[in-house]
Amino acid sequence: MKMTSTMPRAAAGALALIMSGAAAWAAPVEVQWWHAMNGVNGERVDELVKKFNESNDQYKVVAINKGNYDEVINGTIAAYRAKRPPHIVQIYERGFMTMLLSDAIVQVQDLMDKTGHKIEWADFIKPVAGFYSYKGKLAAMPFNSSSPILFYNKDQFQKAGFDKPAETWGEFEKQLYAIKKSGAAECGTALATDYHWSLIENYSAINDQSYATKANGYDGLDTEFVYNKTLVVPQVARLKKWLDDGVLQIAGQGFSPEQLFTSGKCATYFASTAAHSGIERNAKIAWSATFLPWEEGRQPKNSTIGGAALWVIKGHKPEEEQAIAAFFDYLAKPETQLWWHKASGYVPLTNKAYEMAKAEGYYKESPTREIAVQQLNRGTPTENSLGFHFGNFTQAMFAQREEVEALFAGKKDAQQAMDDAVKRGNEILRQYERLNKGKY
Amino acid sequence: MVATTLEPGLKHAHFRTAGLPAMLLLPQLLILLLFFFIPSIRALMQAFLLADPFGATVHFVWFDNFTALFASESYRNSIWVTIWFTLAQNVVTIVVALVLAFATDRVVRFQSAYKGVILLPYAIAPVIAGVIWAFLFNPAVGPIAFCIKSFGIAWDPNLNGWDAMLLVVLAASWKHICYDYIFLVAGLLAVPKSLMEAAAVDGAGPVKRFFQIALPLLGPTLFFLTTMNFVYGFFETFAIIDAVTRGGPAGATNILVYKVYQDGFINLDLGSSAAQSVLLMTFALLLTLLQFKYVERKVNYSI
Repeated sequence: MKMTSTMPRAAAGALALIMSGAAAWAAPVEVQWWHAMNGVNGERVDELVKKFNESNDQYKVVAINKGNYDEVINGTIAAYRAKRPPHIVQIYERGFMTMLLSDAIVQVQDLMDKTGHKIEWADFIKPVAGFYSYKGKLAAMPFNSSSPILFYNKDQFQKAGFDKPAETWGEFEKQLYAIKKSGAAECGTALATDYHWSLIENYSAINDQSYATKANGYDGLDTEFVYNKTLVVPQVARLKKWLDDGVLQIAGQGFSPEQLFTSGKCATYFASTAAHSGIERNAKIAWSATFLPWEEGRQPKNSTIGGAALWVIKGHKPEEEQAIAAFFDYLAKPETQLWWHKASGYVPLTNKAYEMAKAEGYYKESPTREIAVQQLNRGTPTENSLGFHFGNFTQAMFAQREEVEALFAGKKDAQQAMDDAVKRGNEILRQYERLNKGKY
Repeated sequence: MVATTLEPGLKHAHFRTAGLPAMLLLPQLLILLLFFFIPSIRALMQAFLLADPFGATVHFVWFDNFTALFASESYRNSIWVTIWFTLAQNVVTIVVALVLAFATDRVVRFQSAYKGVILLPYAIAPVIAGVIWAFLFNPAVGPIAFCIKSFGIAWDPNLNGWDAMLLVVLAASWKHICYDYIFLVAGLLAVPKSLMEAAAVDGAGPVKRFFQIALPLLGPTLFFLTTMNFVYGFFETFAIIDAVTRGGPAGATNILVYKVYQDGFINLDLGSSAAQSVLLMTFALLLTLLQFKYVERKVNYSI
């Protein structure tokens, strides 16, 4: 009897001890971050989170890889509908409108204001901030941003008698044909899987071509694609011609186009600056990189970004919002940005971080890492080059790709393919407009 | 005669009350309810909605999702692609499996190794199988593509829709031949040896024995397998398409089930995706019913 009566008391005492301990070292507020970074950049994310968690004892970010971008956005939707969403999600740039009008998010600039964090938004690189802004305020926290650049094989260019790729498409085309003809390389360029981004969307931005009305969707949901009336049509016709002449090669399924370049088969490769890490690791060739070409006689504008941003899901506790804000504050720091830029290959998000990298001499040792930043910072963005705000952008992009494939297969000519792509794209935009009328 | 008297006896013999059979059925019914009926009903509801994926905005749009589908060229294309794909896959699978099954008896040495090799593809995950096929036939690096080209045949599944279709039909059939093979081997074992021997004594060669005796007796098995092959082609070839062609080029291999995935999962157009899955299920049901109504009558179940 005696023993049993002391037992609860002892247990209570122990519990009290534990609780007082907990009060003294309050467990940090934990927030969940679902991301889509895997491989090397997945390890970088873990490092980033570890650094943040060690830098303070109040907040803790738990980073979880949820697969690729599609899986992250689907996982987020499922979790949100099940009312158990994470705090931060990494969503690809094409999902901007889906997230913005989802009613499921807190806009990042509002969150930072609410939690009393001051971030110098004006210092963000313009096309980066511009892409993720809504009515002049950032809706999502930019995270991994990239831009396409042109990688090239130095030896093959030299062999054909050129220093480097020409600045304009016309001259560049002649070079590719000369390279193939001279036998310096088997093919001129390898078609990247995201060619719609580098060779159509960015092509439009750099050459200041209107992609859609209403400032590429920034000014309203009633935007309509118009790229079937711009230089995009001769651009895709050019790709088709290259394909027929063996100057352009498609890697296809089961094989990565990057390997066509790194193995020395193709002389050039249009790809994201984030491809640096893969090319540095795999290429046995002497390579370099340069800016995307532009059309003769045009003043080239800035390129646009790709990648993803961090969105905050609404409905979390105030202290958790504090934790999110503290993490974003840490992310925006020039030191963090500089480290991320160097570690991941993505561009720095702020001009301060860019200046630091320059001052450090980073671009002396890796000059090609600066290209994307310079290209993004080139001139003042116009309404054609700031970015794209289209609802259901992924769907419209897939319709466009299907039409380009029909062109490549010889089923349609360039004008017909782009007309059909625009027609299908506009139906997709109208459906989005119908759903979200009055919300933008 | 015997069969008709046995059947009612079978039905009543084991259960005296309704309680026990209901209990025994319950787990299966629960699984069906959770993983089939509830999702199906939700898909049916979703098919009439235009909805934001997060569920913030939902409009009831009657049959708009369906009319939009039938007006869409890519959906009509997808229906044709599916028909050709499942038919070709069915024919290839059954013919090859039949030949292999009938040959089993004639393999004297290493018969178990022979069976083992044929059954192997079933153990390979569809995605892996798809990646291997895509690689082998890749015009830039694939060894088989290289052989094809060395015969002077143009081959590029990345550009040519027919090549791509051929490739996915072969890959999907290869993956499924073993399934048909098992059933056909079992079916052939059930063919009475006495019949075959009698035919052989009467001077019928192996080809004649196959067409005149084995094949008619395999009727029920073949009927079952065609139904299963259609179901496989309709629903389970998704992973192979995803790994080999992603529905391309220009939608040439975009079968209905892949389109459901693409529009729902990638494009987040849930209403259209739900409408498509409802239609796909209706097609599959109709096809199965038609098969039972017209083909099954010709099948002879008694030996």
